Parts: sequence; C-alpha cells; structure tokens
Amino acid sequence: MRPFINLILLAGCSVSFLAMGAGAAEPPRKIDVKRFSKNIEDVVVPLPNEIFAALNKLDSVNWKAFVRTNKGTNFTERPRIALFLGTVIADGFIAVQAEDAPSVKEIGQRVVSLAKGIGVGNSIVPHAKAITEAADRRNWPAVRQELDRTQNSVQQAMNEVHDEKLSQLVSLGGWLRGTEVLTSVVNRHFSEDGAELLHQPDLLEYFQRKLATMPEFNIPVITEIKSSLQEVKPLIETDEPISAASVKKINEITSSIDAAIVTRNP
Amino acid sequence: MRPPISTARHTALLIGVLLVLQVAASRASVDDAQSFALQAAEPYVKQGYQVREDYWGGDLGVGEKKAVRQQLFKGNDYWFWMGTEVEQGKVSVHIYDADGRLCEQPDSWQKGHFAAAHLIPKTTGSYFVIVAVESSPEERTHWALVYGFR
Repeated sequence: MRPFINLILLAGCSVSFLAMGAGAAEPPRKIDVKRFSKNIEDVVVPLPNEIFAALNKLDSVNWKAFVRTNKGTNFTERPRIALFLGTVIADGFIAVQAEDAPSVKEIGQRVVSLAKGIGVGNSIVPHAKAITEAADRRNWPAVRQELDRTQNSVQQAMNEVHDEKLSQLVSLGGWLRGTEVLTSVVNRHFSEDGAELLHQPDLLEYFQRKLATMPEFNIPVITEIKSSLQEVKPLIETDEPISAASVKKINEITSSIDAAIVTRNP
Repeated sequence: MRPPISTARHTALLIGVLLVLQVAASRASVDDAQSFALQAAEPYVKQGYQVREDYWGGDLGVGEKKAVRQQLFKGNDYWFWMGTEVEQGKVSVHIYDADGRLCEQPDSWQKGHFAAAHLIPKTTGSYFVIVAVESSPEERTHWALVYGFR
C-alpha cells in the first residue's frame, strides 16, 4: 500500500511542479551584475557531454572517429595523473556518444586504475561497476550519469583531502579534451554556430586563474598548458564570430596539449 | 587512576566537539536543501533532461542574493532548480545574460521553498544564475541549486 501512496504523492508533486508558473514576484528585467562582484561563485565548469550535446544538434557527428581506448602512459606524478584522468573521463563521454560498449567498459577500468594512482580509487569502484553493467545493457543515459557521478566522486574525494588543485586539473583535462574534439568536428564541417560553441572566455580565464595558484606543480606539461591558454584566449575572446582559421588554430593547440597530457615527454 | 582534565583542556575539547557538530549540521542542511532541489528536478528527468550530479549551495539571509556564473551553450535547453529544507521559506532563481538582461523562458516558476528557471540560450557564453531567499523564518536559510540540460 505504501509504495502505491508514494507513487500517487510523486505523481501529484510532478503535476504540480509542471503546472506552476504564476504567483511569483516579477524579477527585474535588468540588473547590474557588477553589484554581485563579491557574491559571485566561480564559473561552473561544464562536463564534456554538455558541449557534445550542443554539437550533436548542429550536425551529425561521426563519434566513432574520436573514440580512444589507448591506455596511455603510466604516470607517477599526481598532477599528470589528474590531468590524464580528466581526459579519460571525457573519452568515456565520447565512447557513449559513439555507443561503443567495449570502449566504455575499458575506459571505466582505466578510470579506476588512474583514480587509485592518486589515492581516490575506492570511491570510484562502484561507479566503474555500474558503468560496465549499464554499457552491457546499452543503457546510454545511465552510462552518462555514471560517468558524471564518477567525475563528481573523484573530485569530492580530492576536495575532502584538500587536494582541490588536483580536482581542478581533472576538470581542466576534461575541458581540454572536449575542446580538442569540438574543434576537430567544427574544423571538418565549419559552421558559425559550431564555432560559437568555443565562446568560453570566462571559463578559460577561470582555468588560467587556477593554474596561477599552482606554482608547486612545476612540470613541463603545466607550463605548456599555461602558454597554450594564453594563445587561445584572443581567438575566443572576440566580439566577432569565431573564424574557421581560429577554429583550426585552436584545434592544433589543443591537440598538441592533449598529446603532451597522454604521453610522457622524453 | 586517570589524570584530571584541566578546565582549559576541557573547554577546548567542548568547543572542538561543538565546532564539529556545527559543521556537520550545516553540511547536513545544505544536503537537505539539495534533496529538495532534486525533488523539483525529478519531473523533468522524465522529459529527457540530464541532471548534473554536482550542486551549488550555501546559506543566505532574507533578501540576500548570490550569483552563480555558468557557461551555457546555444543549442542546449537548460533548467535550474533551487530548493531549501526550510518549508516556510520562499526562494527564487532567475537567469541573466552577461549584460545583466533577464533572459529566462516564461515557464520559469517559483513556489514556496522551490523555484526553477528555464533557459534556451540564444548565444553561447556566460550567464548569471541569481538565487535569493525572499522570505524565511530563519536568520540564515540553506539553499541548493542543481541544473540539467537536454
């Protein structure tokens, strides 16, 4: 009986939420956002699948061409593992777009081993299991959700042990891989709408600010990322539509950073 | 025989325990607020919105506002849901573009301790999601914001 009552309550709740719309005070049509300068949260970093969803609506994308299951190098430096972990999670979202179950499962296992490398593996194991199960059922929305949970759990576990900087590198790795794929797709079939998805100057500035607080991570790949972001900045900060040449340039830059993240430099 | 605990040590211990309890209580309330924000999101999941696992939250006084800056993409359809565990409270959430212009869809809504704002961005870029506690019996009211897209 109780489950039935719960169902009725949930249905009632759902209907009432969807039917709402009136009864609220009118918000101001315009505000001075500078007034909030002391009360603004840092920009929220989107997940790669948010960008891929927008991209998918513009054009049919051959996601299989971007699937990558190469296990990459085994790193020992924690910042390198964090960056790599971010790119691997992004690869997971790409494999989901391609509906490639074997790759999704392989990526799930790779995420666990990388998370163990930075001491947060325990929080990931249940998610990796759920990813495998959902991929076997080809339940792609469930795989997407588990990948999101995986990234969230990794970052929460890092934040709990005051490794916020590593957590930010996971986000940065994912964003860089997402941007590389976005520019590859738009570069192949250029459209202004596709190029507009690169208009993310606040996000770029956010990563620059965060990297500036990491002098202790004095490794070549971080130095390369810093100078690359500086190069990308004027290309996406423009008030004009982002050009095909800029897209190509950003693709070259992000591909080069991605190569530096996944391979060990001599 | 156990050594006697000095008054200073005893007080420090008590303060420490109270601090831990306060932090735990504060976290629990933001988590409660999150569960209400997710409750508001639930009907939309059935419509195909992917709700992100992450959430943003804290506490606000009555009339106080906070801005959450979001990078949003043209082509996606977004909903932001806000909730608080203070059932007598009234919260609001609205979306403004980078120039401070209200840009949410007219089906955005507010009802008591739940509120939601809907946006189909006309351009890719930064947006400000402004959350506020309009009224509340509490001095500080916990809030949480979640969002989803399709």
